[in-house]
Amino acid sequence: MSEITYLEAIRAALEDAMHEDERVFMLGEDIGHFGGPFGATKGLAETFGTDRIIDTPISEEGFVGAALGAAWMGERPIVELQFADFISCAFDPIVSVGAKTHWRSGIRFPVVIRAPFGGGIRGGPFHASCPEGWFVGVAGLKVVAPGTVEDAYGLLRSSIDDDDPVIYFEHKGLYRRLKGSRPTPATRTPIGKARVVQAGSDATIVTYGAGVDLARTATAATNGNGSSVEVVDLRTLWPFDEEAVLSSIDKTSRVLVLQEAARSTGAAGVVMSLISQHAFELLDAPAKLHAPVDTPVPFAPELEDAYLPSVDSLTAALDDLLSY
Amino acid sequence: MSTEPASETQWREPDPPGSGVIPCVEAPAIPRETQLELLQLGLLQRLTEDRAMLLYRQGRIPGSYYTGRGQEAVGAAAGLCLGPDDVVAPLNRELSCHFARGVTVADVFRNFLARATGPTRGRDGNMHFGMPARGVFPLVSMLGVLCPVSVGAALAFKRRGEPRVALTFWGDGAMCTGDVHEGMNLAGVLDVPAVFVIQNNQYAYSTPTGREMVNTNIAERIEGGWSIPCQRVDGTDAIAAYAAIGEAVRRARDGDGPHAVEAFSLRMHGHAAHDDASYVPSELLDHFANRRDPIKRLRKRLELDGVPQSELDELHARVSDEVAEGLAEAERAPPADPDTIQDGVYAMPPSHA
Ligand SMILES: Cc1ncc(C[n+]2csc(CCOP(=O)(O)OP(=O)(O)O)c2C)c(N)n1
Repeated sequence: MSEITYLEAIRAALEDAMHEDERVFMLGEDIGHFGGPFGATKGLAETFGTDRIIDTPISEEGFVGAALGAAWMGERPIVELQFADFISCAFDPIVSVGAKTHWRSGIRFPVVIRAPFGGGIRGGPFHASCPEGWFVGVAGLKVVAPGTVEDAYGLLRSSIDDDDPVIYFEHKGLYRRLKGSRPTPATRTPIGKARVVQAGSDATIVTYGAGVDLARTATAATNGNGSSVEVVDLRTLWPFDEEAVLSSIDKTSRVLVLQEAARSTGAAGVVMSLISQHAFELLDAPAKLHAPVDTPVPFAPELEDAYLPSVDSLTAALDDLLSY
Repeated sequence: MSTEPASETQWREPDPPGSGVIPCVEAPAIPRETQLELLQLGLLQRLTEDRAMLLYRQGRIPGSYYTGRGQEAVGAAAGLCLGPDDVVAPLNRELSCHFARGVTVADVFRNFLARATGPTRGRDGNMHFGMPARGVFPLVSMLGVLCPVSVGAALAFKRRGEPRVALTFWGDGAMCTGDVHEGMNLAGVLDVPAVFVIQNNQYAYSTPTGREMVNTNIAERIEGGWSIPCQRVDGTDAIAAYAAIGEAVRRARDGDGPHAVEAFSLRMHGHAAHDDASYVPSELLDHFANRRDPIKRLRKRLELDGVPQSELDELHARVSDEVAEGLAEAERAPPADPDTIQDGVYAMPPSHA
C-alpha cells in the first residue's frame, strides 16, 4: 500500500465521504479550484464541482452559521477555516447555536468544522494558536485532534458520520511530516475513544495532536535507558476518554500531561481535574503538566522554539517525574 | 396642526387626517378568508400575550416575559405567506407566526410555564422555543445569528432543487450586528431562496433607531448595500404586510434569490415585562395605540368591507376561548423533571467503552 501524508489522509477522507454521500459538501475560503491555503482540498472542485466545494466570502460567522442551517435541513456540511485562530470569528454560531440546539429542541447538526491549528511554522500570534481549550468542556460540542495519519483519516470520517457538531483540529506541523499507509474507506476512529500508542509501565504521558509524535520521539531514548513510558493519545478532547486515562495511571502511577496549547487552556484542565479527583490514590508523584507558558504563540524562531514543548524539554520533565 | 408625533425614525407616508383608527389598505385581491385568518392570528398573539402578562405579574411565569404588542400583523402575515414545507426562524415579537405554523396555545403556555412536555421541556423559557416538526427553528438569543442559519437552510433547498424558502426576522437593533451583514452577503453571493423580514419598531430596548444607524431607511440600505430587493411596508397594516411578504416569498421560491421586507411599526410595550418604556414619548405610544394598533386597523378594514360586527365579535370570543383552553391544558402538564437534565446534550452520545 502506498504511503500518504497526514494532509493527504485528510483529503482522502473528504474525497471518500463525498463519493459515498451526496449530502456531504464543503464551505470555506479559497477551497475551490485554488485548493485552500494548505492544499487540503486540491482537486476536489474538479471532481465534485463548485456546487459541492463552495468558495465563500470572508465570513466565518456567516458560513459556519449557514453550515448549521444546511445541517438542520439534513445536509452534512464540512467547513474549512483557513487557520484555527479564525475560529474566534465563528464563536457565536458554534457555542450559541451548534452546542445548545439539540438539547433545547432535538434538531441535529451533523457539521464538521476543520480547524488547522498549532505552531512550529513561524505563524506567530494569529496563525499558530491552539484554541481547542475554548471548546473543551462545552456541552453539546465534540472536539477531536488526530495525532497520526490513520486517525487523521479515521477521525475525519467519524466526524462526518456524526450527528453532532464536531470541531476537528488538524495540526499544520504534521501535514507533511507524518506519513503512513492509506487507510481503507472503511476506516473509522471512534469519537470519544483514546488509544495507547505505546505501552509502558513507569509513567504515562497523556497527550494529543503533535504531542503524540513528540512523546514517542522523546521516549524512544528514555525507554531504551531502562524505563518504559506509556503514551496515551486522547484523540477526542471532548468529551474525552476518562477511563483510558485512569486505567493507564492505574498501571504506571505517574502521569504527565503534554500539550502544545498554553498551560492554562487546551485539554489539560479537564484531564488534570479528572486526575486530582479520581487518581489521587493511584499516584506516586504529583501529576505533571508540560505545556507552554501563558502567552500567545510568539513569532521569532528563538522565541517559538523556547515556547513549544521539545524533545529536550519533555525529556527533562519526564526525568523530573520519574525521579520524584 | 400635524397629528403625527415626532419620532427619530419617520414612517415616510403621513397619516391621513383625523384621529380615528386608520383602516388597513383595501385589497380585494386578497380573499376575505385570508384577511380573517390574519385577524385571528394577530388576536391569538394579542390575547395569549395579555394572558401571559397577567400570569407573569402573578409570579407564575419564571424569568422574564416579552410581548410583540403592536407587531402582531407582521408575524401573522409572514406565517400565512409560507407553505407547509418552508421553514422559519421567528424571534421575540412573532408569536403569531408560530400560530400560523400550527403551534398551539397549549404548546406556547407549556413553554412559558416551563413544563416537562413543552417544546423545550423546560430547558428554555418565554419565546425561546421552536417546533422543528413544524419547520420552526428555536429562537437563539444572540441577535443576528439566525440570519446565516436561515441562509444555510435556504442553501440546502437550492442544492436539492426544492421549491422551498427559509424566512427569518430581525429588528432594527439586530440590523447592526455583523452576522446580519455576513448572512445577507452570503445569501446574495450564493443566490439562495431566503426571505428576511426586518421589524423596524423604532427601538432596540431603549435605543431609538437613529442612534443605532445613520441612515435609518433600512430598505434602502438593504437594496443599495447588499443588492437584495427590499420593500418597505407599514408593519401595522396586516394586509399590506401580507402582500409585500407574499411577493418576497414568491420571488425567492421562483429562483429569484434572496428578498427582504422592512416592516415599520412601534413596539407598543416595554422591551420586556419589567420595562415601562418611559423612554418612548407618550404621544408616540398614544398615537400608535389610537390610530395604528394593527388589530384595530384590520378589524376596521373588515368592518368597512361589510363583515358584520357580530361575526368579528364571535371571532374574538372564539380566540379568547382558545387561549383559555390552551392555558388550562398547559397547566395540567407536569413540571420539568430534574432527572432528565442531561438527556439530549448529544444526538449521538460518545461511547468511551
Ligand atoms: C447580540 C445581542 N446583544 C444583546 C442582546 C440583548 N438584547 C435583547 S433584545 C435587544 C434589543 C433588540 O432590538 P431589536 O433588534 O430592534 O429588536 P426588538 O427588541 O425591538 O424587537 C437587546 C439589546 C441580544 N439578545 N443579542
